[in-house]
Amino acid sequence: MQPPGPGMPAKALPGVRHVLAVASGKGGVGKSTVAANLALALHKLGHSVGLMDADIYGPSVPMMMGLGTVDQRTTPFPILKYGLKLMSMGFMVDPNQAIIWRGPKVAQAVQAFLFSVDWGVLDYLVIDLPPGTGDAQLTLTQSAPLTGAVIVTTPQDISLIDARKGLRMFREVKVPVLGIIENMSHFIGDDGKRYDIFRTGGGKKLAQEAGVPLLGELPIDPRVAECSDQGEPIVSKYPDAPIAVAYLTLAQTIAHETQNRQAPEALPEVQL
Amino acid sequence: MSGSPVLRPVKLKREGDQLVIDWSDGIRTAVTWQTLRQQCPCAACQEQRAKPPDPFRVLSPRELAAGAPSPVQMLPRGYYAYQIIWNDGHDTGIYTLENLRKMSQVVSSASTAKSSS
Repeated sequence: MQPPGPGMPAKALPGVRHVLAVASGKGGVGKSTVAANLALALHKLGHSVGLMDADIYGPSVPMMMGLGTVDQRTTPFPILKYGLKLMSMGFMVDPNQAIIWRGPKVAQAVQAFLFSVDWGVLDYLVIDLPPGTGDAQLTLTQSAPLTGAVIVTTPQDISLIDARKGLRMFREVKVPVLGIIENMSHFIGDDGKRYDIFRTGGGKKLAQEAGVPLLGELPIDPRVAECSDQGEPIVSKYPDAPIAVAYLTLAQTIAHETQNRQAPEALPEVQL
Repeated sequence: MSGSPVLRPVKLKREGDQLVIDWSDGIRTAVTWQTLRQQCPCAACQEQRAKPPDPFRVLSPRELAAGAPSPVQMLPRGYYAYQIIWNDGHDTGIYTLENLRKMSQVVSSASTAKSSS
C-alpha cells in the first residue's frame, strides 16, 4: 500500500456515507471494544459497515474479531468478518513485533488505510482511534471526511480530564462531536442491584459541559473481556445480554443522530 | 465548551503577490505570500523565528533559485486548515483558518461593499 500521491485518489472514502471516529483522550476506557461492538450493532440494524483500526502501535481489531496476520500478497484488504469490512495494522505485523515508528510513518499508515484500501460502498465506517491527541488523530482529521466523532469515557474524573482534551481537539479542528458514550457505566449484580464501580455520572457531566448528547451508558459485563479474547464481540456472541441490547440502542441513537447529518462541507479549493 | 458559529472561507484566490480570501461573514481579506511564508506556523519555522537572527546564515541553492516566496500548491486540510507547498520546497506549515484570518488585512466588508454599490 502507498500513501496518497500522484495517481492516487484525491478524495478519501468516496463511497462511504458516514465516517465516525471513536475517540477518547485516555487509554483503557474500552474504545476498541466500543468501536467493534458499535460497528456490529450498526450492521445488525441493517447498515453496511466497515471498521478501521487506526491504532497503529497497538491494534486490537484482529484479536477481537478472531483474526491474525495475513499474507498481503494473497489477501485483499479490507477483510470481511461478521459482516464487517475490517482493516488493521495487526493484519500485517506479527502481534509479538513492536511497531517502533515516528509520527510521519504513523500518518503514512493512516493515510494508506484511508486512500488505498478499497472500502467500497458503506453506510458507516467506524474508525477506532488510539488514545490521545497525536499523529493518528491529526492525520485523520486532516484527511478523512468525518461526519463526526464520539468520545468514549468511563464515569470517573480521571478519565474525564483526558476525554475533555479529546473533545477540545475535535472542536479545534472543526469536526462535529456527536456525543459522549459512557463505558463501564455500572454493574448489575446477581442480586439485581446496580453497583457504580467507577463512580457515576461522569459521561452525563461531560455531555452537559460540552453541550452534546449523552449517547449511551454501557454496563460492565465480565463476558466482554472473554468475548474480546476469544475473537467474537459480545454483540455477536451474546446478542440477548443487557450490554448487547445497550449497544443496539446506542447504534439506533447514532443512526438517528447521523440520519440527516452530512459531513461538514469541504473547504474550497484555492485558485492559484 | 460549545463552539460559536464556524467562520470559513468561501473563496480563496491568488491575486498577484497576495492571497485574497472571501469569508463567510462577508469580509474580504488579503495577505501577501511573503507574510505567509515568514509566519509559517510549522514547528521548525517557529523555532527558527525564536532564535536571534544568524548573520552568517547561507541560503541553500534551492532557496536562492526560488526567489520571492510563491505557493506551488495550497491544499485544504480537513475542515480547519490549509497546507501551503512553497516554491522553496518547504511544505510543513498547516495554516488554520483562524491564523489565515489573523495574518490577513481586511480589504472590504459586506457593509462597505453594499454602501459603495
